[in-house]
Amino acid sequence: MSFTVENRAVSKMALAVLVQGTGAHPASWLQTETVADASTDIDYYTRCARLAEQGRFDLFFIADTPAARTENLTAWSRFPMFMNVFEPVTLLAAVAANTTHIGLGATASTSFYEPYNVARLFASLDHISHGRAAWNVVTSANDYAARNFGLDKLPPHNERYERAYEFVQVVKALWDTYEDDAFILDRSSGLNFDPAKLHVLDHQGKFFKLHGALNIRRSPQGQPVIIQAGASDTGREFAAETAEVVFASDTTVAKGRVFYDDLKGRMAKYGREPDQLKVLAGVPVVIGESAQEAEDKYQALQSMIHPDVGRMRLSTDLEVDLSDLPVDEPVPLDRIPAKSNFHHTYFAQIADMVRRGMTLRQIYMNYERGTKTVRGTPIQVADYMEEWITGGAADGFMLLFHTMPSGLRDFVQRVVPELQRRGLMRTEYEAQTLRGHLGLHRPPNRYVQAAPAAPVAAAAE
Amino acid sequence: MTPARQMSLGLLPEGTGVHPASWLDPSTPANAAVNIRHYVDIARTAERGKFDFIFIADTPAARTSNLQCWSRFPLFMNVLEPVSLLSALALQTTHLGLGGTATTSFNEPYNVARLFASLDHISGGRAAWNVVTSANEYVALNFGLEELPPHTQRYERAREFLAVVEGLWDSYEDDAFVYDRRTGYYFDPAKLHVLDHHGPHFKVHGALNIGRTPQGRPVVIQAGASSAGRELAAETADVVFGADESLELAQGFYRDLKGRMAKYGRTPDQLKILPALRVVLGGSAQEAEDKYQTLQSLIHPDVALQFLAGDLEADLSGLDWDKPIPEERIPASANLHKNFFDKIVTRIRTERPTLRQLCMSYERGNRTIKGTPMQVADMMEEWFGNGAADGFMLLFLTLPSGLDDFVAGVVPELQRRGLFRQDYAGATLRENLGLGWPVNRHAAQPAPKRVAVG
Repeated sequence: MSFTVENRAVSKMALAVLVQGTGAHPASWLQTETVADASTDIDYYTRCARLAEQGRFDLFFIADTPAARTENLTAWSRFPMFMNVFEPVTLLAAVAANTTHIGLGATASTSFYEPYNVARLFASLDHISHGRAAWNVVTSANDYAARNFGLDKLPPHNERYERAYEFVQVVKALWDTYEDDAFILDRSSGLNFDPAKLHVLDHQGKFFKLHGALNIRRSPQGQPVIIQAGASDTGREFAAETAEVVFASDTTVAKGRVFYDDLKGRMAKYGREPDQLKVLAGVPVVIGESAQEAEDKYQALQSMIHPDVGRMRLSTDLEVDLSDLPVDEPVPLDRIPAKSNFHHTYFAQIADMVRRGMTLRQIYMNYERGTKTVRGTPIQVADYMEEWITGGAADGFMLLFHTMPSGLRDFVQRVVPELQRRGLMRTEYEAQTLRGHLGLHRPPNRYVQAAPAAPVAAAAE
Repeated sequence: MTPARQMSLGLLPEGTGVHPASWLDPSTPANAAVNIRHYVDIARTAERGKFDFIFIADTPAARTSNLQCWSRFPLFMNVLEPVSLLSALALQTTHLGLGGTATTSFNEPYNVARLFASLDHISGGRAAWNVVTSANEYVALNFGLEELPPHTQRYERAREFLAVVEGLWDSYEDDAFVYDRRTGYYFDPAKLHVLDHHGPHFKVHGALNIGRTPQGRPVVIQAGASSAGRELAAETADVVFGADESLELAQGFYRDLKGRMAKYGRTPDQLKILPALRVVLGGSAQEAEDKYQTLQSLIHPDVALQFLAGDLEADLSGLDWDKPIPEERIPASANLHKNFFDKIVTRIRTERPTLRQLCMSYERGNRTIKGTPMQVADMMEEWFGNGAADGFMLLFLTLPSGLDDFVAGVVPELQRRGLFRQDYAGATLRENLGLGWPVNRHAAQPAPKRVAVG
């Protein structure tokens, strides 16, 4: 289903929610309304997923990094993200049994897993959920993860992406091991599957060597949905070729549209149609009865950030130790390093605030790590989202809520009906699988595509 | 009064059942292998029968040769990944333990530690990890190798892998998470311990990113029967699966394994030995035997031949089905499973069966007991009461019928004899197995120390 904006067909927006414990805000767990131990409470995650399903969301998404922080623990013990979390695939498999339609997406790192294991986990999740699995392909971007897997630090960016590229090729090929109709389960002939429809992968690459077949039949979606988030040039190229959902992080429609057009523009050379990749803008949302109430909610949370946590976040992204500085004095200009090595955008944002003479507290109270929280009434939030969609800057949103489940509940109860009223969002699920919700094609099996050539070869025999 | 010792029961379901022809039996759902609904039904039946746990065996590879045979016997060819399967079962059950295999040869310790810790949290303390080193070349080929590393090296890696995983499971002390909104401390940073491991196989500097689990640590299962396997089990396993076929052999294994524990400071009751037992039930012994024979007759000759050829380690192609295997096809000695090999060779030389007779009657390892519920209970009681078993890992030739019959017939009989629980005594798998709490290595000194000081 679609409508037209500026002569372009626009589909209904896709909605994902990123759930992490008590909420995306560093101080969320301090709010008495949240469940303090939510991050390891499976019933809590199930309730959140059902709530999102009630709101007709496309995707319930779990971010992940395979490491706890091991330094600066006085700060991390106050801000427990990364410190105490379920492994995402186990979490989603448990949620699968208690939901019926919503997509289930999880991160798994290509730097610290083997392709065969990842292929199995997500194929299995796709079967368990009857076609709702998605894999967010990341290369990991912190040394804490590296140190859990025998390395002192991460391999360089390019090498990680090269490995990721090959990793994804191998996984997708393994997912095609069996043709869709390989399992005939024919009791009269005694054939469980047709051996001619099993294809052994023989891969020899720079990072991986595999000779084998995946030990599970092709999954209900053909292949689980591939998600990516990389914004670097390499990341965009990789996404244009292989991703079906991309999480974007721009904060204005103008910038969002540049990214959107750039990414979709790269797809043609891989023989892909632009609608086969959905760009979801990452947006934290705070809803209030009035704009002021939403703003107050937001500021109340910001004011609960402990100075140790605020300092740590700034130290990390400004890439310099600020632990000795008083909170209520301006940050000395000479503390700004000559250049950033990791996240240039985050670095620039903080450096800019330092140059404006803000105190450490003012800076961390205003700093949002690349995102910009949308605060407002349900109508204002819907307006914001409509502007992005009609402005050609997104196909949908990856929503984050500062406190959960209240943030999601407010959205489902107040914003979703408004988006539906405007015809921007589905009112009922029209499909059973995540691919179906997102309007993504079911990927043909590579070995079946090759079929037209087969009779020639057969004739030659 | 100390409660009477009771047996522990595990269930190993494999899709439609462990019999190679089970999927041909019309009572089984043919697509069972990837049907989560089927597994939920099986798990709930096991829970109704008060089983300690359900167990998912695994090998991370499909077979890639001899497909005309494997396509008739789909074990290994089409299975759900165990930890995701068990996570899906966790919320559909309340007391049943959830055990799965993960290989130490083709995983990273950090990933395995997370998967099972996560499963333990999701299930409220019911996770168990079966530690295996993998024993077939198909797996090696999936992970960049031409062949498996040698046995000794695999076991060295397994031992170190397990040490790393258990170290990671102890990252947080039990009371580390204080969730104190007043002070703003979510956890007490002094109760997080960073593992710094440098060994021949692994280097890990890190902390597990999840709190200590409801069981302290998931239960550790092993099955290795080699000397290296027994030694590792004596030191580290909570549960061991046995594979002996006679009471005498099982008693020998039981005695040997428990005898090795003292040197690791462990008492025999801290390790439960569960011999694998295949059960076929009938209203009479004859009915059970008939059921079994009907299934046997459904085995396709290619499948039967492959089993036999595998264990005889011989090429049996092109032979006359109605003549005995010629002597020159029999290898001089076994390279893989010596006891399977010896049994076959002895039978060929003493009974002179035709290839067809031998194939269709061949049964590898594990004991199959066929009989009435009373007969099966008698056998279980005999092993349990005579130093051969702490319980059993049960396998059924067809599912769900085999399990249904057992829960309806044998479980009540075992309960009547006081050999099996009427209801779950604990909330966690450890509690139900009667295993002690694994004290965190970083926790303050345990009680005996304080007594000594006082």
